[in-house]
Amino acid sequence: MTESTHTVKSYEQELEHLGSLMARMGGLVERQTAQAVKAVVEGDEEAALEAPELDPEVDELEREAEALAIRILALRSPMAVDLRTIVAALKITGDLERIGDYASSIARRAMKLETEGNISLVGLRNMGHLVQNNLRRAIDALTTKDRDGAVAVWQSDTAVDELYTAMFRELMTYMMEDPRNIGTCIHLLFVAKNLERIGDHTTNIAERVYYAVTGEMLPAVRPRGGRSYPAS
Amino acid sequence: MTAADIVACLLPVCLTGGLAGWFLRGRSLSRVLPGSVRARREEVGTSSVSLEEVLDLLPEAAVLLDGHGALRFANIEAREAFGDALGTIMRYPDVFSAMRHLNGVMVKASAEFVLTVPVRRVVRVDLRLLPEVLATGPAHILAILTDCSERDAVERMRSDFVAYASHELRTPLTALIGFIETLRGPAADDPAAQQQFLAIMATQAHRMQRLIEQLLELSRAEMLEHRKPRGSIDAKHVVELVRDELSNLCAARHVQLETKATDIPVLGDQEQIIRVIVNLVENAVKYAGADGRPVRISLSAEHKVLLGRPGVAFVVQDNGVGIDEEHLPRLTERFYRVDGNRNAPASGYGLGLAIVRHIVDRHDGSLKITSRIGQGTRCEVWLPCVREARA
Repeated sequence: MTESTHTVKSYEQELEHLGSLMARMGGLVERQTAQAVKAVVEGDEEAALEAPELDPEVDELEREAEALAIRILALRSPMAVDLRTIVAALKITGDLERIGDYASSIARRAMKLETEGNISLVGLRNMGHLVQNNLRRAIDALTTKDRDGAVAVWQSDTAVDELYTAMFRELMTYMMEDPRNIGTCIHLLFVAKNLERIGDHTTNIAERVYYAVTGEMLPAVRPRGGRSYPAS
Repeated sequence: MTAADIVACLLPVCLTGGLAGWFLRGRSLSRVLPGSVRARREEVGTSSVSLEEVLDLLPEAAVLLDGHGALRFANIEAREAFGDALGTIMRYPDVFSAMRHLNGVMVKASAEFVLTVPVRRVVRVDLRLLPEVLATGPAHILAILTDCSERDAVERMRSDFVAYASHELRTPLTALIGFIETLRGPAADDPAAQQQFLAIMATQAHRMQRLIEQLLELSRAEMLEHRKPRGSIDAKHVVELVRDELSNLCAARHVQLETKATDIPVLGDQEQIIRVIVNLVENAVKYAGADGRPVRISLSAEHKVLLGRPGVAFVVQDNGVGIDEEHLPRLTERFYRVDGNRNAPASGYGLGLAIVRHIVDRHDGSLKITSRIGQGTRCEVWLPCVREARA
């Protein structure tokens, strides 16, 4: 085994390791989001406690991935697709970490919620499902370097925006119907907003995957859904 | 776990033939350790098979992972049974923690967990550390995936059914009981009132019957959701069957139904896909003509590539009243009604599109509804032609 093949091999191993760190981060963040949605929709206290508990692990992985990315940049002078992958990775870890934060914040809010039977959570459940599914597909696109998958995620965020607008309208109706609903509805509104933010970061991940794979940027203005009802 | 043990037993047996032959040729052991099984096969000749080939023969879903937990190989069954959920399963935090326990001493570990997307599933992952002689390159962990959703789905179906039945059936039942009491008491001697009440009761009873049928259909669609469809059907045939099934309804409502279809095989469960299209056309027949204008519905099935995947788009387009934009994102929620009035005679139960969505999700397809007030509604169901081999 010559020296040069050895270098190439361990360089590739480092890239693979970076990829696996991000996949693990993705897995954790997916789990956090799933637990956060479950905590709100099903009132599951255990799930509400678990989501914030995973935060330190996500942060640790973010630091590890960043350190590795910088190490590769410094020592290997990567070019072309490798360079793009590493630059994208630096940003994607940030997005993933933010998603984890939003999920924890939803879970913490869930513990304060007192939903009596008169407020329907079906819309929120739907929105949670959609956001989770987009997140899953974005991380799939990341791990498989799938350009088409990234485009699909990028396009389907409009549905999340539309659902957010619908939720906004519905919650406002509840508040107008009975002022006693206001406390709960404000919490739910924040939950919906956080889910929408998770959707935005998911779109960012998709954009960065697309850039890493193709070297091109998706258009700066992505298709937006929902009338400009809520100020966002 | 028996499945994993079978694999663990089976693999050495399958490879023994090849390896024994190879040892008899007197090669040195040090040369077998590096390099892949495939490389060894060349040395051995045709009597040996690769680990991947053996795994492809198994009826179990098996995947190979490397030391970082990255997916290196998925056998045919894994791709068929789990499809695009494989990535989510393998990066699930519990799998990684289980993997950490594997070392020279511990060669077995397992994890069981619930996934919520793309469809709800209970998955069990059994991990085995492969003996060095079987490990191909970096992939040295074997994982057997088992779908344990069945029991979970049955339990959920039961609790959901009870919840919905008590929620939705109570009102018509209360009405029925009220009428029965009136018929036995105050209206006992009033034949005119009796006829009137009996007519209302019959309508209510039929509504309840239809509701129960729909609830059962929804439960069935949910039960099957975690099982990937494996049949193949022809798009043109589906369109013809739907046209025949609905011809009476269309004639009764004076609705004109036009169909256009091409011969394309679709991957899917015939009965379920027909349910989906029938549901969409039925909705158009029922709601499009609310303003009294004559309704024209067109149903077509054509080849369409969606994000690089070949498939078939079934499009149901009507020229009716349309649906307000604010309702569109929520149409597939169960019990969601556009008119908001639960007891309006023309309105359904808000279950049809919920059923449609579960079936489309199961088929890994997509559902898109667009509408303009006064101009009509367009529903597009896209289903993949053939499953791509995505690892």
